[in-house]
Amino acid sequence: MSAASTALAAELRLRSDPLRLVVWGSWAAIATVAVYFAIDTNNKTAGALFTWVSFRTILTSVAYVGVFAVATTIIMISGNLFSLSLGTTGAVTATTFLALLSRGVGIAMIGTIVLGAAIVLAQGLVVGYLGANPIIVTIAAGGIQQGIFLWATNGATIVPSFGDSSFTWLNNRYVGLPLAVYVLIGLVLLLELVMRATTFGKQLYLVGENRRAARAAGLPVGRVIMLAFGLAGACVGLVGVELGAFNQSGSLLVESTFTYDGIAAAVVGGSAITGGRGSMIQALGGACFIATVSDILLLRGYSEGWQILIKGAIVFVVVVLLRINRMRASR
Amino acid sequence: MMSISSTPASAATGMTPVPVGGQPLLEAIDISKSYGAVRALRNASFVLAPGEIHGLCGHNGAGKSTMVKVVTGLIQPDEGRIVVAGEEVSFRHPLQAQAQGIALVDQELSLAPDLSVEENVFLGSLYSSILRHPRHSRARAADLLTKVGLEHIDPRTPLARLSIAERQLVEIARLLGRNARVLILDEPTATLSESEIERVFAVVREVVSEGKSAIYISHRLDEVLELCDRVSVFRDGENVATRATTDIAHRQELIKMMIGTELPAPTDESAEEIEGLRSMSITGLHVPGAVHDFDLSIRGGQIVGLTGQVGAGATEALRAIAGLIPEAHGTLVVDDRKVRLGSPTRALRNGIAYASNDRKGEGLFLALPVRTNLVATRLRDVAVLGIVRPGAIAGLARKLASFVRVDAKRIGSRVETLSGGNQQKVFLGRCLERGDVKLLLLDEPTRGVDVAGRAEIHYLIKQAALSGVAVLYASTEIDEILELSQVVVTMFGGRIIAARPRAEATAENISADMTLSGRTVTSPAVQA
Repeated sequence: MSAASTALAAELRLRSDPLRLVVWGSWAAIATVAVYFAIDTNNKTAGALFTWVSFRTILTSVAYVGVFAVATTIIMISGNLFSLSLGTTGAVTATTFLALLSRGVGIAMIGTIVLGAAIVLAQGLVVGYLGANPIIVTIAAGGIQQGIFLWATNGATIVPSFGDSSFTWLNNRYVGLPLAVYVLIGLVLLLELVMRATTFGKQLYLVGENRRAARAAGLPVGRVIMLAFGLAGACVGLVGVELGAFNQSGSLLVESTFTYDGIAAAVVGGSAITGGRGSMIQALGGACFIATVSDILLLRGYSEGWQILIKGAIVFVVVVLLRINRMRASR
Repeated sequence: MMSISSTPASAATGMTPVPVGGQPLLEAIDISKSYGAVRALRNASFVLAPGEIHGLCGHNGAGKSTMVKVVTGLIQPDEGRIVVAGEEVSFRHPLQAQAQGIALVDQELSLAPDLSVEENVFLGSLYSSILRHPRHSRARAADLLTKVGLEHIDPRTPLARLSIAERQLVEIARLLGRNARVLILDEPTATLSESEIERVFAVVREVVSEGKSAIYISHRLDEVLELCDRVSVFRDGENVATRATTDIAHRQELIKMMIGTELPAPTDESAEEIEGLRSMSITGLHVPGAVHDFDLSIRGGQIVGLTGQVGAGATEALRAIAGLIPEAHGTLVVDDRKVRLGSPTRALRNGIAYASNDRKGEGLFLALPVRTNLVATRLRDVAVLGIVRPGAIAGLARKLASFVRVDAKRIGSRVETLSGGNQQKVFLGRCLERGDVKLLLLDEPTRGVDVAGRAEIHYLIKQAALSGVAVLYASTEIDEILELSQVVVTMFGGRIIAARPRAEATAENISADMTLSGRTVTSPAVQA
């Protein structure tokens, strides 16, 4: 009896975790909006806040931010904080996709994902095997990528050759929603499974929770971290394909907010910045929240300054709530 | 003496009156504290007189640590009162306890290794940073260091250059500098060698002779009896007895109070020699600045104890063999196969399992469940092609939990919620019952573990040896070395000084080896 009541008490404490409230609250908000549109089919005025179109816009940005959120979460779970150049890699891979289109859309897709994986995996190699600081490494890697990008494109914007429609199916809507939304859902489910049910996933949490202990226990720490970065990079390569197809022009401008939004979503999704804790589904919740907030602000006509300020404030509040909660738990 | 009325606490519990005249420095009266369904303390009281060293004994989970947390303000009791020098107080925060002069010398040292000794002495005090006057503070630092017998240390030395014992003394100096009246020492000697323990004890006695008091918590009962004036025994959250140590003839009496029953006499089983096929040898092991010319070979089934003072090199030798020191070199052969040093993953693949002496920092994954901790190193056993079989982890974890005698109901709990002894069993359980392990390297396998847990861990180690595993363990406790080893290897200054079969090893000759007494040092064994 007492064991059961203790378990119940622990469960209730978990449920009342403010972070989870944020995440599940945002899920509830999105569900509400979705139900609202399912019922009210007349409300289709473009530009208004609650329209099916604006809801779909929100979902589309969730589809992109969500991929950066899961990529950031993988790196965060590994105990290496976050990458500060995933957005740049997104822009580089999007452009690469467009440049490779002349060789066929299949090759372009595979090449882009492999490139994304390789760029970030190389950073993981330095971080994992040499124990370098991930922030510095990813900033440096961002600089290198931008430099090479500008050198290779000569400052020009890359566009697909005129009349090329081999990739437009990527932008189509299926059952009312853009393909990217389904891709994200599939990716989240697949990665959640990788995290929970593979030796790699289990080792990733162990390495992130206590890197020294993992090393002493003989776990392949360097390899796990490198693979985590590579996996994150493959995700970014995937979103690069989508962004290239969607924007149909490749430039560094794309990167601007994705790095930050990914980190914000991962933190709001309850990943421990110190590593060892985090989940893909919760990261998706965080992405929904961040993307919804930015899009609502955008649709309401707030300036970019306001959007950045409010997102910053959200991350700040979440971090403070997290700390308070941890302090209370350790009492 | 009659003019001093009995204190509320002694009146309430009928304990022995305060032996030294004057008001008690610290009283904890009828303290209760529960964590969920667990009652960590139930109406426990204890009285600390001025000028006494008061020992706290009890199993892990008996309530002594909770009591310490209550009087240092780390947690608030559910019920009960705390009285400091006659004045009732209520600590909402550790800083309030510190302001009253109640200072905890932490088990895990809370100093900053990269700062100088001087800066560490003033760590967290008003003397630090802005208000610091260089000359004034250096003189005061030297003064405080003299008080703890560290007058030979230049205050500008980086703390990291000091030994663990010296750091502990710096910590005490720091607390004295902040006008500590009550020093609480929680397992201070767990990492120290015999001579270093004497040094710390001498300092504590000196401090107490100035009218301050000390609370001393240890599992090493002989030390408690040697150092303390009185001792309080905790059991199941209650203070079951407070006695003057002069009234306790032998530690067996203390053990009896701790467990409430008589302990079976230790059986003197003769170590049986097993002709194992497995063997390991290391030759010419060298770790810069720590281990020199280290040669050792062990047969399967053999238990070899590696001892020496802290810093003698035993820890580094084990770490090097486990592959954790990249700059170490030497020839390691396991089962006729040469194993290159420098990679823990490669070491494990070749059958070498290692358990660090730093259970929290380098052992367990504290925030993860017991289950995950038990199977952390054998995920391959529960997976097919990298996919973990559903239920396999829980099954294997239950098996291992019952093997190391940890309650199977706890395998879902975070490992940090377990007592120290159970944490250690989970940690060791990770290396045990594996067919592929040929050599077990254990550094201080029973650190911070109570008497019962220690016996269980020793049993597990012996069982591992009986199954044909070669065991090399390091311990600075002579008792443990004599209890467990078939061969005792003593190190000094990074070199092996002596290797004695158990039959020839005695506490006397081992401690002589450890301190190199009666020998002339021919080589510059001691490095700065």
